[in-house]
Amino acid sequence: MITDKKMTRRDFVKTSAAVGAGIGLSHLFPLRAFGQDNGAEYTESGEWKPTTCQGCTSWCSVQAYVVNGRAIKIRGNPNSNVNGEATCPRSHISLQQVYDPDRVKVPMKRTNPKKGRGENPEFVPISWDEALDTIADQILSLRNGGESHKYMLMRGRYSYMRDILYDRMTKIIGSPNNISHSAICAEAEKFGPYYTEGLWDYRQYDVENTRYMLIWGADPLATNRQVSYYMSVWGDVLDRAEVAVVDPRFSVTASKADHWLPILPGADGALATAIAHVILTEGLWYREFVGDFTDGVNRFSVGREVNEDDFEERHTHGLVKWWNIELKNRTPEWAAEITGLPQEQIVQVAWGFANAAPHSMCWVGGGPVMQIRGGYLSMATHALNGLVGAVDNVGGTLAPNKEYSGGFPGPGEYMDEIAEAGVQHEKIDQRGRLEFPAMKKGKPGSAVVTNNAARGILDEDPYDIKVAIGYFNNFAFSCPGSERWERALSKIPFLVHITTNASELSWFSDIILPSGHHMYEKWGFLKSAGHGYTHVTLQQPVNDLVWDVKTDETEIPWLLAKKLEEKGFSNLMEHYREYRDPETGKIPENEQEFALFALKLATRKLWDPQQYAGGDRINGWDDFVQRGVWNSDPYPYRDRWGAMKTKTGNFEFYSETLKAALTAHANKHGTTVDRVMEVCNYQARGEQAFVPHYEEPTAPGDKTEYPFEWVEYKSRLSREGRSANCSWFHEFHDVDPGNVAWEDVATINPQDGEKLGIVSGDTIRISSPSGSIECKANMWEGIRPGTVGKSYGNGHWAYGRMAALEFGKTPRGGNNNVIIPAEYERLSGATVYYNSTNVKVEKVT
Amino acid sequence: MGKRKDKDTQGDKKGLTRRELLLGATGFAVATGAIVHSVSAQTSNRPNLEGKELAMVIDLQRCTGCGACAIACKNENNVQDGVAWAWHETRTTGTFPNVQYEYMPTLCNHCQNAPCVRLCPTKAMHKVAGGITAHTPEKCIGCKSCIAACPYKVITPNKKEPHKFWKSDEQLFAGASDSPKEVVEKVGGDTIPLYNPDREQFLEGSGLRYKGIVEKCTFCDHRVTQGKLPYCVERCPTKARIFGDLNDPNSKVNEILSKYSAKRLREYLGTEPKVFYVREFNPATYRKSKGSV
Repeated sequence: MITDKKMTRRDFVKTSAAVGAGIGLSHLFPLRAFGQDNGAEYTESGEWKPTTCQGCTSWCSVQAYVVNGRAIKIRGNPNSNVNGEATCPRSHISLQQVYDPDRVKVPMKRTNPKKGRGENPEFVPISWDEALDTIADQILSLRNGGESHKYMLMRGRYSYMRDILYDRMTKIIGSPNNISHSAICAEAEKFGPYYTEGLWDYRQYDVENTRYMLIWGADPLATNRQVSYYMSVWGDVLDRAEVAVVDPRFSVTASKADHWLPILPGADGALATAIAHVILTEGLWYREFVGDFTDGVNRFSVGREVNEDDFEERHTHGLVKWWNIELKNRTPEWAAEITGLPQEQIVQVAWGFANAAPHSMCWVGGGPVMQIRGGYLSMATHALNGLVGAVDNVGGTLAPNKEYSGGFPGPGEYMDEIAEAGVQHEKIDQRGRLEFPAMKKGKPGSAVVTNNAARGILDEDPYDIKVAIGYFNNFAFSCPGSERWERALSKIPFLVHITTNASELSWFSDIILPSGHHMYEKWGFLKSAGHGYTHVTLQQPVNDLVWDVKTDETEIPWLLAKKLEEKGFSNLMEHYREYRDPETGKIPENEQEFALFALKLATRKLWDPQQYAGGDRINGWDDFVQRGVWNSDPYPYRDRWGAMKTKTGNFEFYSETLKAALTAHANKHGTTVDRVMEVCNYQARGEQAFVPHYEEPTAPGDKTEYPFEWVEYKSRLSREGRSANCSWFHEFHDVDPGNVAWEDVATINPQDGEKLGIVSGDTIRISSPSGSIECKANMWEGIRPGTVGKSYGNGHWAYGRMAALEFGKTPRGGNNNVIIPAEYERLSGATVYYNSTNVKVEKVT
Repeated sequence: MGKRKDKDTQGDKKGLTRRELLLGATGFAVATGAIVHSVSAQTSNRPNLEGKELAMVIDLQRCTGCGACAIACKNENNVQDGVAWAWHETRTTGTFPNVQYEYMPTLCNHCQNAPCVRLCPTKAMHKVAGGITAHTPEKCIGCKSCIAACPYKVITPNKKEPHKFWKSDEQLFAGASDSPKEVVEKVGGDTIPLYNPDREQFLEGSGLRYKGIVEKCTFCDHRVTQGKLPYCVERCPTKARIFGDLNDPNSKVNEILSKYSAKRLREYLGTEPKVFYVREFNPATYRKSKGSV
């Protein structure tokens, strides 16, 4: 029996184990001897297949270890120049997501017509045909009634296949309402870089070449972006660079840094302008980038204006104006009081940061910028990179490298009269109104104001939404003021959710369409930058599909287009038929072909040797599929010096680019920039609006009733709020400093705990003007006294049976977005998550 | 739509007290390159490990405390919820704003003088080639003597049937979602959908454990016998874990141990652990000063 080679090793072990257990032979004949005695080499039973992780927006290229069509392990894709073999802890949790029993496996429809948090939808399974038929009827009914604009598409997380569903389908149906999640991501983070250096994007941080890192409200070892890469080199980075972390909470990165600056929430502008003040008065700026006084004599001294003609700038614009308008009185002494940081520490950090120029950097995360007055904080912190010449430089902050993926065919000729008229309507998120400049890339009204769509829907302003589809999103959980979304979604007469799990948003839906998992059951591609490269990495269906699920961005719109065609509206299908296989010219005949051809089309320049444009040389589609990733050429340092996409081409300390944008917005509304500042909750008046400057922090909630400041942060295991039905998320929850395994805790400084009579383990209620949540308390020295901290990701009342304490009813812990009010950084449209509210804390007895 | 229990098998992760950690850390650091005592292996079924003294060095400066090692371990070894072969101790010290946080990954130390081996009445816990402290489930009577003996609390009993969750036939949505049991049936795997068959081939018994026995880290014997690194070492995103043979003077572990003063947990007990810690979790600099009075 033992030598029967037809028997698998697995069978053998099972049998032998049974025998062994019975008669104790295993001790005498160790099982492992079998394979070795027969000379049979152990080979791994699976194979490593490339795909991409979307547990955060690092978008690491990974490989899945697949055994008989079943992915069971994850590692970094060594072919990626961005993350290589490294992959962070949350990548492994994706494996628990894909086999989550609570996933929706077939379409469902609601049978309880009443909608609300307290109404059980009573979902029942239906066929894809019935689901698509119903959706098509709803869309056609809108179009036939001249109300195509009352259709809305809500996009959450996405791949770059997104435009098929998000853009093309919405436009061809005839609606302006493709509402992305971007403003609940971190648009304000792009605001500062854009209005100083013309870069509307996230930066790469050249950590391996830097000598000083000043990190503002970012926690790169835990969350966003390129976590895997930064973790992989941090141990070496610490040997070379000094690291200072500005955060009211002792973050993971603070635990691996030299200095912690536990700033008062929202006071970052005071610290940034004081550092700039020190750099100028002490003559520490980087002259090769910024320039110098014509006679080399430093005239920057406290309180004294400087003549602009005395300074000759090189690759910057408006330094002296900035000094005169804003910086001349921003002393460290002044900042110490506002920031709650010792004056000596401010001066020490300013010197350390500037002495390392130009190999020093300000790393600006969401913390200081996703705030009510965060636009200018984004500018003020990023402007320091200009002073030390870190922008686009070795050891500094870099733009993404050029990549060559393409788009899809345009919708133009498939938009009929109804569609053309429909897209002219104002968008439901009210962007572009006086109080929502939302100025992406200098263009007023161009950025989404995601969270305000709830208000648009509730107020029917500009109109009511009648049919909506959401995919890969959960605005009823992920948007601050989440209760508003519960009401808004209840109000939409026909709502469809494309999702893996029946989430909070699904609860209000009429139809749920089960989506394939982005990492294991989907064709798609993603692009991201880090380590001085951009990679374009494929998402591949590495698993055998065992459920009746479809791909959100490709297969479902195809199937819907087919239904619409059957019912007499063929424009969408005719458009999709344009997505031919670039290798054979074949027109797609089914949803699987469509998904694949669309992907091949969009990435053609990366894999087709005939269309090679740069970066890795890939030998055809099959080669690309096998590698899983394309890498750009290395970073061209300093190429953008003097050629930045600003009005002046230089790094703008006095932002002509922002001045033009704000003026355009004011003119559009027949008013002044001062008035724009006022309605957007900014204090700046006059010229101050055009320079990085300090604004007093502000947050909702009267301090007498709500004495604590709320500090939100992201867990290193939270896959954008989607980990909570996975046991590893809870079991390892304590890898976030201050957190406790299997609990949802708020951290409170022991000083405050003593005053409140609260000890670790107590159940507490945290309330803000927006709402209340309950969780456990954890007394922790790593949180600033006067503040309460808590990570995002718990508090689901749907999503699954582990995510919720009782599905549909009781949350496990508290969702931070219940207590964070819906506030905005209005210049970028970004939603406020940080310095977002004041709260009170009570013990629940 | 019922509740799902979350921590029915949390196990005995009592861990080390702060004082114990400190004692270990400040104990006499052995000049570790010199440890070349031989191991008396009971079995010799690992020919490529004969004469080796396997050890792990954990470089705390590289470690970022992410837990990927321990999650990957559970993944590789089919470990159930509430049980961990690799874990961690954390502590926050100091008073605001002078605060420090430390993270120390832990696992079976594969002690040369392993108390668990000494106290096991059935020789289920035993030393094998390479210095691995191995466990034979068939011989285990679940008496937990090893657990009582282990100073590091890295052995866990199976008080209940492991992976019981996956035997449930309860669906969240009747007809539209699967019960855990159905997931396993459809996806494949064995007992759990993430079942790693590679584990069963070299663990004595099977890829899974059962009620009434103990379990712990095996240094991924199923991998190292094949010349592969333990999975926690492979998956550590920071390369903080370095694995090798102390008997090979040129091994990476010996190279590192020659550069740094290594710490081992609770060395004073004389267990001769084979897990070494070098450098500090936080190597922060400070401005030079003689202080003040």
